[in-house]
Amino acid sequence: MNPVEVRSLSKIFQTREGRLFRKVSKAVVAVDDISFDVSEGEVFGLLGPNGAGKTTAVKMLCTLITPTSGDAFINGYSVARDQQKVREFLGVMLTGERTLYWKLTGRENLEYFAALYHLDSSYWKERIDELLEKVGLADREGTLVENYSTGMRIRLSFAKALLNDAPVLLFDEPTASLDPQSARLMREYIRELKREKHAIILTTHNMEEADTLSDRVAIIDHGKIVKLSTPADLKEKVKRNEVIEIQARKFSDQILIGLQSFSEVSKVAMAASDAADEVSIRIHAEKGKEALPRILEFLVRKQVSVTKVSFIEPTLEDVFIAETGRSLRD
Amino acid sequence: MKHYARKPGSFVIYLALPFMFTLLIFGMGRFVSGGNAATYFAARTGTANILVYEMIGSAVWMTSWVVVEDVGVSLRNEQISGTLEQNFLAPIDRATLLVGMSLADIVITTVIFLISVGVAVIVTMPADFAGLLQAYLVLLVGLFPLFGVCFVFSGIIIRFKEPYVFVQIVNVLFAVLTGTYYPVALLPLWVQFLSGLLPQTYVIEDMRQIILANQNLVSLYGNIFVLVALALTYPTVGYGIFKRIEKKAGVTGEFSKY
Repeated sequence: MNPVEVRSLSKIFQTREGRLFRKVSKAVVAVDDISFDVSEGEVFGLLGPNGAGKTTAVKMLCTLITPTSGDAFINGYSVARDQQKVREFLGVMLTGERTLYWKLTGRENLEYFAALYHLDSSYWKERIDELLEKVGLADREGTLVENYSTGMRIRLSFAKALLNDAPVLLFDEPTASLDPQSARLMREYIRELKREKHAIILTTHNMEEADTLSDRVAIIDHGKIVKLSTPADLKEKVKRNEVIEIQARKFSDQILIGLQSFSEVSKVAMAASDAADEVSIRIHAEKGKEALPRILEFLVRKQVSVTKVSFIEPTLEDVFIAETGRSLRD
Repeated sequence: MKHYARKPGSFVIYLALPFMFTLLIFGMGRFVSGGNAATYFAARTGTANILVYEMIGSAVWMTSWVVVEDVGVSLRNEQISGTLEQNFLAPIDRATLLVGMSLADIVITTVIFLISVGVAVIVTMPADFAGLLQAYLVLLVGLFPLFGVCFVFSGIIIRFKEPYVFVQIVNVLFAVLTGTYYPVALLPLWVQFLSGLLPQTYVIEDMRQIILANQNLVSLYGNIFVLVALALTYPTVGYGIFKRIEKKAGVTGEFSKY
């Protein structure tokens, strides 16, 4: 038995849209028949763009949302039927900052949640000391959370998820809104937890994070798992194509369609770039080096201002593009 | 409790409000009936001790008000801030969690009540210590139904997310129906029937009888029996309603909506 077993899990939300008295019921498929297992000491990444269904999947696993069909088992207990038992075996970190009492100190927050998790009071003091030390908040434990920085709050939230030393850990976008140094620290903590044999599910839309932390990655889009394998295996499958990354200005959807008409090009995806008014275009092409001059000539003819061209190693983002034709950062 | 300690302003205002409401009623009585206000009051209520009579009503009402408002608003705030999800992720049964969430409010309001009514009684001396103690026992029994109200309220807030609408409805109903400022006997019969379904009606009536009319728990056994029955029924029914709403909230994903 694996610590996490997910079987044909689906969630359909019924929403009502439209004006008063003219509301129409609409079914929104948030998670569509997903199945996977997570073993002891494995980091399982759920990678997908915002709205792909990652958080809904995690919330079903932690019993906050009831599945429409299918089931999942945490340490053998059903998330649909044995909810309280499931919660005993879970440590959950949902969107970081929104999980704490801001009018309590860091230590008081942990003490409160330790009580909710029925931790023995003689044990919890030691455990809280250990966790505060681990996340670098020992010297700020007496400060009200409202006076913490975002990074500190997220680290405290992370510590809270580890309070009960649960065998299964769910981290929903753990490094979102963290500065690079704090994000690096967080990833290091997660690696340590993997070494301690926790089964970890990590949702992220950060492909590097999914790549470097996960033993296996499920790429999820529109609620469906479109690909599931190790990061290396996933990338291997797109390696038969070369990946060209172009940074450009004055780019449009029409030009994107134009690029797709090149015979060597198998996929093109566009995403916002870090620089203002610039876009980043990923082109998957067979014999990309041969095709590049014609591609550039086409772009110049369309009056696109190209600022940077490079050939890059395929990443998980390219796997996502290959599978969906869209960028993760769409 | 630590949250309360860090927001002392609300405690002070809760303590002052029963006195303010009593003064308001006092002023309105004078305005409507002029110099005969005290005579009319005694004829309708059976006591001339306006201060204690109104303070009991005001303070019991305040207790219910604060509990309902605080549970509703704090639950909504927790929903918005995200801590509600965190609480619901803990392996603890919902009844314990909800009682825990309501308990701080109930303890605080009881303290408010003890102080405000205690002061009024000490000033006017209508009852001895034994009477006061029995009156507080009635209050204590009357707190249990409030857990039931809190359970229902928690469910309603999770589902509809508009605490103030429901807080105001409940508060107005409590004030009108439970005899907060006047005897329930003055109300039309069908309204009196509704009053009889609310535990606070019995708490107010019994406390007034004990403190102002030298009655005791034994002589009021009929009312006390109904109050105990409501003290058992309200939390049971309230929890049942909460569980139904919670189940539905899991299906619709309400816990995460803010």
